[in-house]
Amino acid sequence: MLSFTKLYRRARVVPVVALLGLGGCNLIEFSPNDHRVPEEFTNLTEKNLAKLKAKPLAAGDTLRFIFTGDSQQFYDEAEALVASANQQPGISFLVVAGDISDFGLAREMQWVDEKLRRLTVPYVTVIGNHDLVGNGRPTYGHIFGAYNYSFVYGDTKFIMVDTNGREYNFDGTAPDMGWLRPQLANRDGARRQVVISHVPPTNDDFDPALRTPYVRALAEAPNLVFEMNGHNHSFSITQPYKDGVTYVNSDAFSERHYMVVTVWGDKQFRIKRVKF
Amino acid sequence: MKKLLLPTLLLAALGAKAAPAPADTTATTSPVKADTPPAGASERKWFRPKHLVLQTGGGLGMVAAGAGYEFAKNHLETDILIGYVPKYYAGSTLSLASLKFMYSPFHLPVGEKLQVVPLTVGAYFSYTHGTINDELKGQYSADYYWFSTDTRYGPLLGSRLTFLAPPVAATGQPRKISVYYELGSNDLYLASWFNNQKGGLAFSQLLTLALGVKADF
Repeated sequence: MLSFTKLYRRARVVPVVALLGLGGCNLIEFSPNDHRVPEEFTNLTEKNLAKLKAKPLAAGDTLRFIFTGDSQQFYDEAEALVASANQQPGISFLVVAGDISDFGLAREMQWVDEKLRRLTVPYVTVIGNHDLVGNGRPTYGHIFGAYNYSFVYGDTKFIMVDTNGREYNFDGTAPDMGWLRPQLANRDGARRQVVISHVPPTNDDFDPALRTPYVRALAEAPNLVFEMNGHNHSFSITQPYKDGVTYVNSDAFSERHYMVVTVWGDKQFRIKRVKF
Repeated sequence: MKKLLLPTLLLAALGAKAAPAPADTTATTSPVKADTPPAGASERKWFRPKHLVLQTGGGLGMVAAGAGYEFAKNHLETDILIGYVPKYYAGSTLSLASLKFMYSPFHLPVGEKLQVVPLTVGAYFSYTHGTINDELKGQYSADYYWFSTDTRYGPLLGSRLTFLAPPVAATGQPRKISVYYELGSNDLYLASWFNNQKGGLAFSQLLTLALGVKADF
């Protein structure tokens, strides 16, 4: 029989080993602000773009996607949205224009993904102001991925940009114009382009010092179909700066509407608002 | 399986740590009359904590350590904990100050050296220091965000296994070591659940687990 001393000596390393192992146990939450989630809930942007790439759109084909935003805390509605979106024919993907979460917490982002992964098409997101609360920025980075990124699908380049200036105390970094300008100048072989961000430039939460440079850069961008936002929880299609640039604002999940967006030609589009 | 195994090992290890009861202290213990307090009791200052606590999880830190007080024949407890979350897991190093209040209505003896506390209900309140985007003065208008980034509170529900060791010879101070688990949640998870009553969120999705050990001293 082992003596207590021996048992004690052997046993005392176990808590250390156990504690290291707990890094993999998500029920044991260190803080709501920690971003430990199972691997399947990480790098979602990259994973979804890989799924999209696996179903390419033939050159010259009309592109159709679903545009929505602000899924924050609307889990009941998310289920209904997914059920409705899965009935739409000819959809390539779905876009959530930011505010995936309400409190910038990892669990919320995981909960939303648990709903949206039931879509028959991949989905992509752009970061919203609520996703930046507390430690939301590294959390979004861990779970979804880049804050600014672009991809080409069919003939369209999508530019996803963080415009949540207020979350950075209007320090001139969001939107990152140094990143955005070359993105707008080079369509990576696509015929047309679309810019998607969370906070629209018309909103008080947009960095006031960057409003004019941003709006001007969009006006000068060749074949820009439109600029799309969330944040307002209210459907609108306007040209607020009368510079030829169309700004589209999404309903939030709570409004129980999404948009089916069809894009073709140089910058032709049609938007149908769907109730779910 | 791995997920289940590790907490079990942790509990087992803590148990193993608690089990040895040094025999030399028992033999020399002077009998203490039931109606008089132990000799050492008078030297115990009112502010001296009754027990030390070490726990992981429960949203209060990867590691949280502290001390606590017991009232009403140990049915009521208050623990004060300082917790730590490394930058690797949260994007910034977090330190948490927490306050726990617990009520355990039943203490069931199982043999001479073991006690089971089947139910502990309680609540906690925690403050997190070190979050990245912490509201700066003037960053937002009033009520821009209705919730606090740093202050969390929530309910607790757990059980406990207590190993009783013979009292300290010199003072008559009773000694015990307990291992416990607590299921909990927080105000933000609960708010999310309350706002989705059509099955959008399962209650189990809100739960957090804490594992810990308490040692009277």
